[in-house]
Amino acid sequence: MSALRFLYYYLWIAPHVLQVVILFAMVQRRLHERFRMFFLYTGFEVLQFALLFSVRQFLTITQQQFFLLLTIGLTASTVLRFGIIYEVFLELCRAYPALKNLLGVLFGRTALALLLTAAVLAALTPGNGIYRFRFVVSVFDTSFSIVQCGLLLFLFLFSRYFALSWRQSVFGIALGFGVYASVELASSALRSQILPGTHLFDYLAMATYHCCVLVWLFYILASAQEPRLIVQKLPGHDLETWNQELQRLLHQ
Amino acid sequence: MTIALILVVVAFLALAVLFRIAKGQASADKLLDNPSQHMRSVDIEAFRNLIDPEEEEFLRRNLTASEFRTVQRERLLAAAEYVAGAAHNAALLLRLGEAARHSTDPATAQAAEKLIDNALRLRLYAFQVLARLYVGTIIPGVRISPVRIAERYEQMTREVVMLGCLQYPTRGVSAAM
Repeated sequence: MSALRFLYYYLWIAPHVLQVVILFAMVQRRLHERFRMFFLYTGFEVLQFALLFSVRQFLTITQQQFFLLLTIGLTASTVLRFGIIYEVFLELCRAYPALKNLLGVLFGRTALALLLTAAVLAALTPGNGIYRFRFVVSVFDTSFSIVQCGLLLFLFLFSRYFALSWRQSVFGIALGFGVYASVELASSALRSQILPGTHLFDYLAMATYHCCVLVWLFYILASAQEPRLIVQKLPGHDLETWNQELQRLLHQ
Repeated sequence: MTIALILVVVAFLALAVLFRIAKGQASADKLLDNPSQHMRSVDIEAFRNLIDPEEEEFLRRNLTASEFRTVQRERLLAAAEYVAGAAHNAALLLRLGEAARHSTDPATAQAAEKLIDNALRLRLYAFQVLARLYVGTIIPGVRISPVRIAERYEQMTREVVMLGCLQYPTRGVSAAM
């Protein structure tokens, strides 16, 4: 087995093995109830891998049939990823009810703007007559990457401006998807337009996915040690002390 | 080809932003070690004076048009500094509130929630007010009345005092900060 072939199999198998660990860790920490979409996505990715790997290794199917299977899986993964982004959005709304309306409106408008941008860019992309189906898949891939990347970036920038603190697990999930969507956006654009036919970007996407799985695993495992403040007992209502402190602070 | 290159640049910019935010998230908790060190001084009275419409009217009446524009631009830039300082402090106080919101004591948790709510509202106002102040520096005639930000800042200050007293009854608010 050549080194490149080994790398290919490693990048294909290893992330999914780690995703099995993520599934167990989530169940153990009861995070599967909280992040249902992420749990579903992780489970789906593992099942999809098992199916594709078995088909590739043990059944004789054509390259086109394999690509069709891959495309069906990719479509389902994309839908689930949108579900996860929505889950992250809901987590932020839950943690900060004061921002719920503003965040909802801005999130909706950003999604609309990104969809329009993606549609315009897809329409402007020059077609490839020979590999029509692959071209369409590639354009959709790029378009959804734009929307996903944009939505995650919006959530991060919004949180950054308002200095919102994310729970480690939510932050890790969003960060992993953000990195993957960014790299996927770059590689799908390059793959379809600049260097079609090369496998370099497949390796890049697989390696990025591996890194993202590691990020998810790290944050899921770290979520058990999230710091909590130890608070003393409620004091008696010492209004005089409060008043003095208030006066002091206002006159500083 | 051009579209692909634009998308690649956008993707790399997005990656850079993500890494910066991830780095910021890691260091944000360190602010809680000693928040008072990171607080900026905000003189509410001076700020009120800078945004006072009567003061502005007085200057408009007693200065020539070009002098008024120069002075008003300086006043608005100074006000913007105060607003930015208040917004910065709100972010720090938000962290304090975050640390206390999961308290087992309902009164502390409630005080923390109020502090978070007000800090968020102040950041939101600050965003709008800063935009208006900067527009005002370009178009000096524009009416700006960011009084609410001063009120919100005072309210937030009261809440952090209350939270400090609830958490550290013997040491007062300075211990919380």
